[in-house]
Amino acid sequence: MSVVETARRIEAGELTPREAVESYLERIGQLDGALNAYISLRGDQALAEAEQAPPGPLHGVPVAVKDVIDVAGSATTAASELLRDNVVARDATCVARLRAAGAVVLGKLNTHEFAFGAMTTSPHFGAAHNPWSLDRICGGSSGGSGAAVAADLAAGTLGTDTAGSIRIPACFCGVTGLRPSTGLVPTDGVVPVSWSLDAVGPLARSAEDCALMLSVLTGRPVELEDGLGRLRIGVVEELFERADPAVAAQVRAAVEELRGLGASVEPVDVPLIEESGTINQLLMLPEAAEVHLPWLRTRLAEYGDDVRARLLAGLLMPATAHVTGLRARRWFLGELGRVFERFDLLAAPEMPIVPPPIGDDDVELNGERMPYRLSLIPFNSPWSLAGLPVVSAPAGFVNGLPVGLALVGRDREEQTVLRAAHAFQRATDWHERRPPAAAIRAAASAV
Amino acid sequence: MSESSPSPATPSIDFLRAAAAQQGVSPTDEDLEGVLGFLDVVLPRLEQIEERVPPGTPS
Repeated sequence: MSVVETARRIEAGELTPREAVESYLERIGQLDGALNAYISLRGDQALAEAEQAPPGPLHGVPVAVKDVIDVAGSATTAASELLRDNVVARDATCVARLRAAGAVVLGKLNTHEFAFGAMTTSPHFGAAHNPWSLDRICGGSSGGSGAAVAADLAAGTLGTDTAGSIRIPACFCGVTGLRPSTGLVPTDGVVPVSWSLDAVGPLARSAEDCALMLSVLTGRPVELEDGLGRLRIGVVEELFERADPAVAAQVRAAVEELRGLGASVEPVDVPLIEESGTINQLLMLPEAAEVHLPWLRTRLAEYGDDVRARLLAGLLMPATAHVTGLRARRWFLGELGRVFERFDLLAAPEMPIVPPPIGDDDVELNGERMPYRLSLIPFNSPWSLAGLPVVSAPAGFVNGLPVGLALVGRDREEQTVLRAAHAFQRATDWHERRPPAAAIRAAASAV
Repeated sequence: MSESSPSPATPSIDFLRAAAAQQGVSPTDEDLEGVLGFLDVVLPRLEQIEERVPPGTPS
């Protein structure tokens, strides 16, 4: 059930908060053995808290949060060995705001180790499995957050996004995810990746759900009912050309739907897309190394291989690289600002491919084998680097696997991004499709 | 700053080991080989960006 529908049913007296929590806990018990979306559950606490949930727009709504976000009394593990027993005393501000609005936290969700990768295949807590095809990744790093929404193991979830970590799992799991503008949602109480790029945001069934959660996270209403009006949408042709043709075709059809709803749609060249990936790395890697330096000194061997490699790369890059990155970001922002003088939104495929099998580090894209982590960079890094809001909305399927439409807005214009996604979702039903619960249940019973 | 400045060479394993040690970190040779592979890719790109950022762009 969606966030909005759950809240409505509770408000109407059709469902109590306790019944809602019980229902989700039962479903988690049936399915999560096959998905591994959750790292920890707060079953008894959630049931007790449901009885005392305060009134508010999320009264009694069961949610779950990525396990880099603090929930008082629970461990924040970041899917790492280093933080396995890291029980925290206070809620992160984003969690406190959800709870003050009445939400009940069911548990903590799987992630790539330290949210520093896009697969959610922690060597310490195991891979999260994609509900649409259990042998495939959920994306990441908020993979558990995407899987939990897709399989209806929480009404809505929180994820974090440094270079695509909300958008990628939303795309791969067939749900809606919003990376808000950098700095819009507080990040205190969240294990950082990169202080200048990190963002906290919702993953849920629909843009309407994300709007409700964002309004609670920011304390400001998000209005969706204005329709598309005369929104000017720039189609980032370079990214369509880079994507798998079948994926690109699905997303082009989604853009045509937006045109049919009244938007003006034109192709646009976004400068420095290729360079923005490198610039992002010049900032993200040293910032992550700085966060982890005490542990790099004392517990280096306890990191997974891929995360250790990235952290060491950040540690050993030339000292001037970060400054060059800061200057180059200014350069990119200037170029992108000129694009947004002509357009209200940019549209692109969220990912160039469908989710690859678990264990495959390389993917095939337009006849070329390349590392999965490199395939996603041009589709995600430009918007992270600029700190812009991006929604990934379900836009169809290729070989039974979800495809996502990315809509990018100007800084702090989440409402425009969500309004367009909402209009698209009122005209289509991709966001209402569900993965096959029977197959997941059968796999879970065999675990 | 002259146009004839040589391109930065990828550092050696020994250089990286010393740089890590200066920061109190002791990676294995295998770890450092991975870093070298990354730097082989990123240093030329960094150099291109250094050259293309318009002069006077603040950080």
